[in-house]
Amino acid sequence: MSEQHPTAGATPNGADTPVILSMRHITKRFPGVIALDDVTFDVHSHEVHGLVGENGAGKSTLMNIMSGVYTDYEGALVLNGHQVRFHNPRDAQDAGIVMIHQELNLVPELTVYENIFLGREHKTLRALVNRSSMRRQAQKLMSDLGLDIDPNRPINRLRVGQRQLVEIAKALNLNSRIIIMDEPTSALSDTEVEYLFQVVRNLRAHDVAVIYISHRLDEIFSIADRISVLRDGQVVGTSLARDITRRELINLMVGRELDVLYPKETVETGPVVLQVEDLTLRQGRIHILDSVSLQVHQGEIVGLAGLMGAGRTQLLEAIFGVYPQSQLSGTIYLEGKPLRIKSPKAAIQRGIGLVAEDRKGQSLVLERTVTENATLAALKQFLYFLNVINQRAERNAVTDIVQDLNIKTPTISTMVANLSGGNQQKVVIAKFLLAHIKLFLLDEPTRGIDVGAKAEVYNLIGELARQGTGFLLVSSELPELLAVCDRIYVLCNGRITGEFARGAFDQAAIMEAATQFEDQISASTD
Amino acid sequence: MGTVTSTSARSSTATSTRQILRRALGYLFQFQSFFGLIIVFILAVAYSPVRNDANIFLSQRNLSNVARDVSETGILATGQLLVILIAGIDLSVGSVVALTATGTAYLLMREGWLDLPLIGSVQVSPMDSVPAIITILIMGLLIGWWNGWTSERFKIPSFVTTLAMLSIARGLAHIWSDNIAVPISYRAGGADPSFEILSERIYNNIIPVPALIMLGAGIVMALVLRYTSFGRHLYAIGGNETASRLSGISVTRIKILAFMLCSFFAAMAGIVHAAQLNQGSPNEAVGYELNAIAAVVIGGASLMGGKGTVAGAIAGAFILGILDNMLSLNNVDSNTQLVVKGLLVVGAVALQRFRPRDID
Repeated sequence: MSEQHPTAGATPNGADTPVILSMRHITKRFPGVIALDDVTFDVHSHEVHGLVGENGAGKSTLMNIMSGVYTDYEGALVLNGHQVRFHNPRDAQDAGIVMIHQELNLVPELTVYENIFLGREHKTLRALVNRSSMRRQAQKLMSDLGLDIDPNRPINRLRVGQRQLVEIAKALNLNSRIIIMDEPTSALSDTEVEYLFQVVRNLRAHDVAVIYISHRLDEIFSIADRISVLRDGQVVGTSLARDITRRELINLMVGRELDVLYPKETVETGPVVLQVEDLTLRQGRIHILDSVSLQVHQGEIVGLAGLMGAGRTQLLEAIFGVYPQSQLSGTIYLEGKPLRIKSPKAAIQRGIGLVAEDRKGQSLVLERTVTENATLAALKQFLYFLNVINQRAERNAVTDIVQDLNIKTPTISTMVANLSGGNQQKVVIAKFLLAHIKLFLLDEPTRGIDVGAKAEVYNLIGELARQGTGFLLVSSELPELLAVCDRIYVLCNGRITGEFARGAFDQAAIMEAATQFEDQISASTD
Repeated sequence: MGTVTSTSARSSTATSTRQILRRALGYLFQFQSFFGLIIVFILAVAYSPVRNDANIFLSQRNLSNVARDVSETGILATGQLLVILIAGIDLSVGSVVALTATGTAYLLMREGWLDLPLIGSVQVSPMDSVPAIITILIMGLLIGWWNGWTSERFKIPSFVTTLAMLSIARGLAHIWSDNIAVPISYRAGGADPSFEILSERIYNNIIPVPALIMLGAGIVMALVLRYTSFGRHLYAIGGNETASRLSGISVTRIKILAFMLCSFFAAMAGIVHAAQLNQGSPNEAVGYELNAIAAVVIGGASLMGGKGTVAGAIAGAFILGILDNMLSLNNVDSNTQLVVKGLLVVGAVALQRFRPRDID
């Protein structure tokens, strides 16, 4: 094997590379959810270890334990034969383990070298910051990594790909032996990805173990030496990359036939409930949405596929009235009538509901009760004169909907923060159901909730569709879209680049439409 | 097997005891301000000087004084709470008290010729108390609207907009009164005698009228927060503004309304202030905003918004008032009182850190 990759330096030769870090029988519980269930995970030296799994499978939780973010878990970490327990990320860093998070932890206003040495500045006389020494070492790091980045440049003047590389330089400056990268390429162009891969291979040659988390299986296959699959908080398989096929990997990840998980019933669709024509969203000079036209019928579940940054969320928000009218052009028809929706309030009054992407940040008031959250959008129905709330009517309505949606909560006056992710999401849906919604805009409705709850959420969506509600559904999980949608639009760089009816769903064609305007599709994959 | 069962049984009793303790602690913190109030009250009784076998702190006269002294802070805290609930802050209430107190005195006493720009000289005479009070309360609403509107329209933190108003209102008060206090006198040709009720005590000269006003304001606002959509929306916005907006709440309108009510209560406190001192002075009420904020915070509200009660805020005002009174009775000088008050605020907030949280 090693002869095949002369440029990559030392490549692994099977299971022979020594284990430097071993996570043994790790269990981690969150309120209502077991995030990790007796997970055992080994990191080998000289290796890029790919970690894959669906959203909510426990990848980030596992890595957060390894890097000292979560300190409260069952099980043990064994580093070079000694059991260790980190109390904070700094402990882990001192032990040579660094995690590069998806959202980068750099201070945008500071320069590259200031960021690299943040909190560990070189000092003269223990007090004065020694800038020249830091600059020198930063420059050395850059040349070691083969990077062409000026250490004196402020971070906010670098491209995202370069920032990623600065994070790596920062990690190396800590003499890291293990670097964890969480979805490092989600915002990179293909050339940048290729460059990043070279740096990663370079790291491997210098005896740094890299754990590489990604959704993109092509990337995993082109960079990883070993692949582990997490599903529902358990490691369901670990294998050398060359010993496993793509299909086997997908089967491991999904673990069951999606049709069983998300049974799809055929629903007679009614007349058009939402029609969007030439919707354009302009912010400054940038066209975030570019003449988008689409339709949703009653009882129809319409999917919106596309990569991150394609404008899917913005499309839902534009329909929901989040953006000022001055940024929008085009027409939106609801049940045939042209509308100008100036605010979320107006949208809800017209019968449109948005289940936002970030459940905790955008949808729920976590520290208030289930009742208060459920009636937040529909409080008007429960008012006497002088805006006094008819609390009995409110209680009855909430009790009913909690039963209908099978929301598992001790009482209706429990804080929603205490519910599990799936039940929280149901409260969000309940909120709009009470407001008599005809059209649901769903943005990643199953993010961060476990598989069983996902199925329940989709069953609920199917049930509502049968009653005539229209759905426009955004999900990054293509298999989910394929399983539940009647029709799928593909969005790429703010434009509709494809439309597929249920009979003609084709994963490859959808992916192609989603990457239509990308510079080049990496030829190295497959 | 037997050992295993007994261990698990023991650990489950241990956890249930812990749960009970947690719950008890939770209740304790929920009503923190009331326990604080009781403690401060007991301390005040214990340390009170005794004259002729009578506890001076517990004397009718003294308790009545405490209630009177607390009432302005209590009224201000009620308004301040509304703004703090939406994660804002109103630093201008002290200056607004000065401005409205000055204005009240002026309206009640004005006489002679008034030079107005554009209109020219107008002859004016003292206003009756009811129209004067209404005018001043409307002025409060306008000031609050300005605070809220500038914060919302230009997305400026309320810390800054109300800091500006702190300066503006104080300046206007000085301009209005030509830098001197406006005395209120009830002799013939002076102020409307009915205004004097605000400085009196009823029920055998025990219960100060300002305390009743505070009680009324507190009860009304507590009911509004508990039972109306406005109250519900205030808590929702403070808890999560984005979620509130995406749920169709008119966030901007509710927030401006909160600022308007806050300044409305400040104007109410200003009117009471003028009646109490029989004058309106632009130099009065310096630092009152800090008392109001301290009371709200001691009462368990969170400056991050979404948490707090009117009862807590008023209890907080009483804690501060009783403490002041206790120190005064013991001849502790006012400077030391300031130090103690500051330490109390830090202590009360630090205590919140021990509050058991339901979220991990």
